[in-house]
Amino acid sequence: MMKKHRNLLNYSFDCLRRYRMRTAVILITFLIATTMISAVLFTKDGLEREAELSVDSSPDLTIQYIKAGRAEPISTAYIDDIAKVEGVERVLKRTWGYAGIGDKTYVVIGLDPTGLDYSRGVITSLESGRFLTPEDDGTGNVVVGKLIAGMLKVKVGDDMILLSESVDANKFHVVGVFSDESSIYTADMIVMCLSDANDFFKMPEGMVTDLCVYVEPDQIPNNVAAKMTSMPNVRILDQDLLLRGYRAAYGARGGIFTTLWTILLVAIALIAFSQAIVVGHESKFEVGLLKTFGFSTLDIIEVRLVESAVLGFFASSLGMVIGFVYAAYFNAPALVDILLGWAFLPKEFHLPVLVSATSVFSIYAVTVVPLLITTVVPAWLNAITDPELAMRRAAA
Amino acid sequence: MKRIIVLPILALVFTASLMALCAYSEMGWGNRTYDSALRETIGLPSIAVGTNYEGTRNPLLEIFVRSLYDVPGGHDYVVSSSFIDTPMRLGFYRESVPGFNMTMRKG
Repeated sequence: MMKKHRNLLNYSFDCLRRYRMRTAVILITFLIATTMISAVLFTKDGLEREAELSVDSSPDLTIQYIKAGRAEPISTAYIDDIAKVEGVERVLKRTWGYAGIGDKTYVVIGLDPTGLDYSRGVITSLESGRFLTPEDDGTGNVVVGKLIAGMLKVKVGDDMILLSESVDANKFHVVGVFSDESSIYTADMIVMCLSDANDFFKMPEGMVTDLCVYVEPDQIPNNVAAKMTSMPNVRILDQDLLLRGYRAAYGARGGIFTTLWTILLVAIALIAFSQAIVVGHESKFEVGLLKTFGFSTLDIIEVRLVESAVLGFFASSLGMVIGFVYAAYFNAPALVDILLGWAFLPKEFHLPVLVSATSVFSIYAVTVVPLLITTVVPAWLNAITDPELAMRRAAA
Repeated sequence: MKRIIVLPILALVFTASLMALCAYSEMGWGNRTYDSALRETIGLPSIAVGTNYEGTRNPLLEIFVRSLYDVPGGHDYVVSSSFIDTPMRLGFYRESVPGFNMTMRKG
């Protein structure tokens, strides 16, 4: 019995060599398709996972002030009301926004000095210098990302001047530069203390961008948020909401590509099917001959199944390996633009790439399975035909 | 005989390599020591890609496509068309977003 299957295997491997054109067409088309889709999917998964890590580290609740449906600066007078809510551990102020340098936009963040107590751990992701301390409030000391440090050619101890929206020149002193390892999070950041950021953005007295609420460890953030809903003009964002927003954003961008790729996949399935039909005449004769020699319908299906499985797994696996290398080591030129939209990818870091089991099996499911169907079905149709009739038709 | 088994052997090798790569990647992300203390201190969600676009780091609001920019009701809810998935099955496809006066709701 085993010998029979071994012989069938050998026969199907020989078919791969014999039908060279069909093998080559399927290999090339599948290789291109899986390389492209895997590069996009692995990158999308990596971006989503990075965003998840950041959202996990964000405050339990972020409070924004909403007026006429738009986010505006929020008064620090809210802090007392929020701090009184049962389950709230502490409330921190935060002012942040964007600063333009050249044709790029960078993130300026003003941190509440009372939040710089390092109680959550030592900040080690600095290449040089130090992180901010409460004593830096109002001094103009900043910590900058590697991208900005490289672009402005500044290092620890240097001064840098930023133009604000009100076209005022603001001088800052660099006390630290973030490291390469944290670039995915810090590349575009200029971190300073709250009062410096308020001066830079010309925030009205007693106003900040948003409030960061940390709830007590034994409390559920949603339940705490529910107690704040009666506060006027506030919008409460919890981590889950942020996460859904980011997943939707990256998922949608990945989805645009997926739509295009689906069309490509249909074309590939048609190519595979047409190849199965093209070789059909030759195959019909062959199947007729095999059946005359005593092959059963199942044997013939097994031969075609093995052929397709070998082709499918070879092309898909190799395509995914190439896709990984293309994304992880070359930053997926051309394809990454679809994912990042209007964004750009600083050269300072590589794309976060995650080869997730879900994506791998999804790609197998839409490449190998259709290939099996498009080749096995014609083989089955040939196999159930009377051998003599099949050979006569093929010869005609 | 040897020539005809090259492709099947390569198929096995590449598939096994991919599985190993997948396991390595998942483990690598699982064991990754990112600076959580820094991220917790700064508290800003998202990551540093997309710095040309001011929406990329803004909590929630500009995640939504601004198809009509500042026109009332111009915020367009982005719905993921996930890969081989049924969008209707995904929670965020159906759920509304608190704080938004949606002009149109999906689902």
